[in-house]
Amino acid sequence: MAFSSAVPAAERLPVTVLTGYLGAGKTTLLNRILTHEHGLKVAVIVNEFGEVGIDNQLVIDADEEIFEMNNGCICCTVRGDLIRIIGNLMKRRDRFDHLVIETPGLADPAPVIQTFFVDEDLRDELRLDAVVTLVDLKHVLQHWEAEEVQEQLAFADVLVLNKTDLVDESERRSIEQRIRAINPVARLLTTSGADVPMDQILGVEAFELERALSLDPGFLLEEHAHEHDDSVGSLAFVEERPMDLDRLGTWLSDLVAERGPDLFRMKGIIQLQGEDNRYVFQSVHMLLDGDFDRPWKDGERRCTQFVIIGRDLDADRLRAGFSSCVA
Amino acid sequence: MVSERLCGELQQAITALSWSGDGEFLAIASAGGELLLLDFRAGCEDLLRAEQDSSLDAIGFSADGQFLMAVGQAGELLLWELGGSGISPMALQPMPLGCGWLDAAALQPRGLLLAVAAGRQVRIWDGAVRQWRLETLDLPGTVQTLAWSADGLQLAASCHGELALWQPEGSAAAQPLRAPTASAGLALAFSPIADLLACGQMDRSLLLWPEAGRGQPWQFSGFPAKVRGLAWSDQPGRLAPPLAVASGDTVVLWQQGDRGERGWKPEPLLWHQQRVNALAFAPGSSLLATASADGSVALWDGRGRMRQPLEGEGQGFNALAWRPDGRRRPGPLVAMAGGGAQQ
Repeated sequence: MAFSSAVPAAERLPVTVLTGYLGAGKTTLLNRILTHEHGLKVAVIVNEFGEVGIDNQLVIDADEEIFEMNNGCICCTVRGDLIRIIGNLMKRRDRFDHLVIETPGLADPAPVIQTFFVDEDLRDELRLDAVVTLVDLKHVLQHWEAEEVQEQLAFADVLVLNKTDLVDESERRSIEQRIRAINPVARLLTTSGADVPMDQILGVEAFELERALSLDPGFLLEEHAHEHDDSVGSLAFVEERPMDLDRLGTWLSDLVAERGPDLFRMKGIIQLQGEDNRYVFQSVHMLLDGDFDRPWKDGERRCTQFVIIGRDLDADRLRAGFSSCVA
Repeated sequence: MVSERLCGELQQAITALSWSGDGEFLAIASAGGELLLLDFRAGCEDLLRAEQDSSLDAIGFSADGQFLMAVGQAGELLLWELGGSGISPMALQPMPLGCGWLDAAALQPRGLLLAVAAGRQVRIWDGAVRQWRLETLDLPGTVQTLAWSADGLQLAASCHGELALWQPEGSAAAQPLRAPTASAGLALAFSPIADLLACGQMDRSLLLWPEAGRGQPWQFSGFPAKVRGLAWSDQPGRLAPPLAVASGDTVVLWQQGDRGERGWKPEPLLWHQQRVNALAFAPGSSLLATASADGSVALWDGRGRMRQPLEGEGQGFNALAWRPDGRRRPGPLVAMAGGGAQQ
């Protein structure tokens, strides 16, 4: 299933999904977003009314309700409450120009993300800007085994490492390494008091294909597989030889059909045989999206870079599958 | 056949409109929280609620014209008592329900009960005693929409996976009937004659029960988009009355040819360019009006032939309603644009 909309991105309302485990600082960040002079009128959907202490008709409470659309297929699982509330809210679209959705601390962010790609109304009216995950540096290791923590890290486009004042430098570096092993592509921001520049979390365009891999240029200078005990991890492949689009497409669609629930996100810049333009690709569970991008620049290292973030990844098998797509 | 008569404006996009049963009053609500009451006999208008920065999403008059209700983003039930033409309505104290945005509420035909979708419950406010009833209808998920049967005896409510049928005035022991639906019902409508219940679903299908929600429904799938709009004609068809269904930019007119599995015949009415937001048959006629986000309204005859296209001024139409007027047939049609009204 492709996840682009026929409606141009510029006509759709940007949405930021804010995730983070209990106590990570989501409410503090929401209050900053609502009071900051960033020139944006922001509507916020919270999961517990009253926690944001700001009287504002654009702070709306939603009661998390999961809709399984297709016999419980994890990739067709969406947030029914968001479809209803955002449907109502979009009638007031001229009142705001950015939407932020807070997810519950103990929630898998995937249903929220998929809602914006699967639901026919939201897909054409909104565009997912970025998944921003807050991390409590002081306590994250205590909850490290929680599935929700690893999913929230895995799905992030921007990781805000909060409460840096409460840990020392070596602790911070060690946590950062473990986070990088799960998610090597997200932008990392380190802060305390959830005090981050607004332009680093709003208007990121992380799901726009041409921007999908531009957050951290040269993120994959060398291929690596992170060896950790965590069930959630990442694999990165670099291939100098050009790839074959048909083979790649077949491999990817078979892969998500078989392993979709375990594959959180994939991103890639592909060098295709006989093409002067880069091909860019991304996925969320079973939702795939790919398109031609700008031409390769003179002097740019022409190679394919491909990242898989998921659970229980079989490195050898995935490597073999990827290599079989070389033209 | 229809000409533009009146063009009014509210500050914010119009979300809902409703005629009183005698056709003397028209209420108009907006996404900015405005509520405007037009009094046709007195020839005046009354802004019952000025812009509040919180949307109103469902409004309606009680069958006897005594009450006007509105619900919306603030999560309160708002009621006004109407004193008749030329008399300013009196607002009752707002009633907070404490369960977030309210977007579905319906007044009982031929009665004074008001059903409000409040989270996973349907609550009943009884206009005769001006109190909430103790009994509620509980569903396993958030109530998406509600509908009363034409006789006012049955109330249908839908959530993701279930349709519940309830008789609020039946004996306390009578349990609601519950039918699994596999998806979320977004639109519900009982036929005004015969005894049918239609449910338009998020999974692009339509369920149709021959006996007002009892027994096995017919299921029709393959619609181009969510089935979000339903309208029954009050004119008898060969068997059931015609049913018009809105799904994306498409309207489908269904007629029952025989009682068999394949007895329902669909006739797609293709003309609108964008989502059809509202549709309604004219009272006492087979004339169908459909209003679209593309800023157009179309009038269709009972055989699905386009009779008249009406173009607005660029803004999409969100709602429409025929005036319930026994003397003139069909009565005036009111279509509402994003920010204005045309009659």
